[in-house]
Amino acid sequence: MIRMENVSFCYVDCDQGVKDINLTIHDGECVVLTGPSGGGKTTLTRLLNGLAPAYYPGSMEGHIFLDDTHLEMLPQYAVGRRVGSVFQDPKSQFFSSELAGEVAFACENYGMAREEIRSRTDAAIRTFFLEHLRGRSLDVLSSGEKQRVAIASVYALRPGVYVCDEPTANLDGEGAGQLAGGLKKLKDEGCTLVIAEHRLAWLSGIADRFLYLDGGRILWEKSPAEMARMSVGERENCGLREVTKSSFPMLPSPDSGAAFIRTESLSCKRKSNLIFHCLSLSFCAGEITAVTGRNGAGKTSLAMVLSGLWKESGGSVLIGGEKLRAAERRRRVWYSANDTGTQFFTNSVTEELLLGDHRSQPRLERARELLKQLGLYGYKDVHPATLSGGQKQRLSLACGILSGRDVLIFDEPTSGLDGGNMRIIADMLRGEADKGKTILVITHDRELIRRCCDCMVKIE
Amino acid sequence: MQRRNLAVPVKLWALLWAILGISLTGNVVLTCVLTAAGFLYLAVQKNWRLLGGFALFYGVLALLLYLIRYYGLHMVVFSEFYVLMFWNLSPVFLVSWDLITTPPGELAAFLSRIHMPTAVILGLLVLFRFFPTMKAELGSVGRSMRNRGLTAPMRLLTHPAASCEYVLVPMLLRCLQLADQLSVSAVARGAETPGKRGSYYERKMDAMDWCQLALWPVVTVLFLWIGGMRL
Repeated sequence: MIRMENVSFCYVDCDQGVKDINLTIHDGECVVLTGPSGGGKTTLTRLLNGLAPAYYPGSMEGHIFLDDTHLEMLPQYAVGRRVGSVFQDPKSQFFSSELAGEVAFACENYGMAREEIRSRTDAAIRTFFLEHLRGRSLDVLSSGEKQRVAIASVYALRPGVYVCDEPTANLDGEGAGQLAGGLKKLKDEGCTLVIAEHRLAWLSGIADRFLYLDGGRILWEKSPAEMARMSVGERENCGLREVTKSSFPMLPSPDSGAAFIRTESLSCKRKSNLIFHCLSLSFCAGEITAVTGRNGAGKTSLAMVLSGLWKESGGSVLIGGEKLRAAERRRRVWYSANDTGTQFFTNSVTEELLLGDHRSQPRLERARELLKQLGLYGYKDVHPATLSGGQKQRLSLACGILSGRDVLIFDEPTSGLDGGNMRIIADMLRGEADKGKTILVITHDRELIRRCCDCMVKIE
Repeated sequence: MQRRNLAVPVKLWALLWAILGISLTGNVVLTCVLTAAGFLYLAVQKNWRLLGGFALFYGVLALLLYLIRYYGLHMVVFSEFYVLMFWNLSPVFLVSWDLITTPPGELAAFLSRIHMPTAVILGLLVLFRFFPTMKAELGSVGRSMRNRGLTAPMRLLTHPAASCEYVLVPMLLRCLQLADQLSVSAVARGAETPGKRGSYYERKMDAMDWCQLALWPVVTVLFLWIGGMRL
């Protein structure tokens, strides 16, 4: 059992944190923390796994009990033995390049005997169905597989409590499904789960309770049944995403007669690996086309080829009826990758928007307006690297819109966003399409598709 | 094909003898004996990739050496000095490259067995992860630059300093971010636990290890005896 009594925490270098948290989590329970970005979810998970204040310094009041022991009296490594942590981005938490070494990492740190390490590691690999990945390098796994490796590595320690901080922020729909399977297993084994998350639908059947945090306080608490009964309006007011899995929206394919950008038997080969072959697709101006398809089907590769970042190995791409080479396409097509970590080059948000172009008054005006619409105006002078993941995704979108190119491609633009920001992005995309831009969105986000897309292309 | 690595102590032992051999020898050309032992050493470990690549390089060196010796070849860029130096150092290159491409887990297991502090072992593991991660990041920075039209030749020529900055700034920030995320991940998984670190891997010395262990001193001593010593 975990008990938090009047807990307040404030970071040293900023005024964010949580206030007056009173919370009891029973053994075997799964509690979901939700609410808008910056509401204090992450801080609460850090308090539970001891990283705040041990790694993230700050001032703490109140008490946290873990089965009647004072959590703050335990050294960090003792907390880590009993409370396992899973983070947002699996690829930057790995210490080993292969599976067994990574899963064994925590056990090795605790100095267990070799036989013990081997049996725990092998059991964890079996439990999470990772046996077939043994010979492969971790770098080439899909995001869902990586996150499962990260959980297996914690599972090998057999902690009673798992704390997950937005575990699906970098996962696509399939990855989230795989993660749900893993967490269900933990729950069936009687483990306690605390999950901070924006995407709620994949948690149905696992979650026992939803807590809503905003401004560092727990504002309300609902059971899954109560959550399901919330009206769409109530949910939108709270900036929440859908709670139960809705059916996948079915949209028509784009009208090939009116196509603005068209591919003719396009194929792509990387290092003798055929990624896709003979694709003939059309996308229309003034429409938002959702590009879907399972993991590894080549959606991102298609975007790379369309935007001219990769060369096609067969076939051609026509924009406005004209056959264009890769270098020419780069001037007409914008591509925003899902990973925003390496997309920004200047030292302020405003500079970033205006990068590489002359500064005319209307452009400055437009940039200001975009920042206001995206809720980034307050950050106009900060360094892009200090923005949160969701803010970076919005900035990347704004750069695309301001680039003035006719075709805009976005790769999973809403993967880490709360409901409110997802809706802002959907409405921005709608507005640009109405101005005559051709927009392609690679996404699994049903809510986004339902809200703004006109047609759909499935890559097999 | 799967590599079959020798135990880490054997690798260190081989490296020691190779260094000893080339620093004491009085006959530079005869170091091919040690290089041959190095090739054998790679072959028993089934490290065919390194073996193939290096054999090719060594063949070219041999050809150059032959031309220099008998036909008076003289090259401006890659002079006789370099040819001889590479020829001479080849055995050490072979053995040390094989050592640093050992799976990090096996190196860590060895270090923890000789009671190396955990901080050193973790540092080593991070170092091994760092380069592949940075390579991937660099590729993605390059893609973003092309997407934003920052790699146009005119722009690179007229704004060379700014172009460097565009690469360096995101890379440095990414480094900091990765460092932070890695430390959190290590701390949350008990990296600060006092005491000796355990290990998943353990290699018992087998017959092949013992053979190589015996082979290196024998070959080196024979080589020094035949070729003569510098002292």
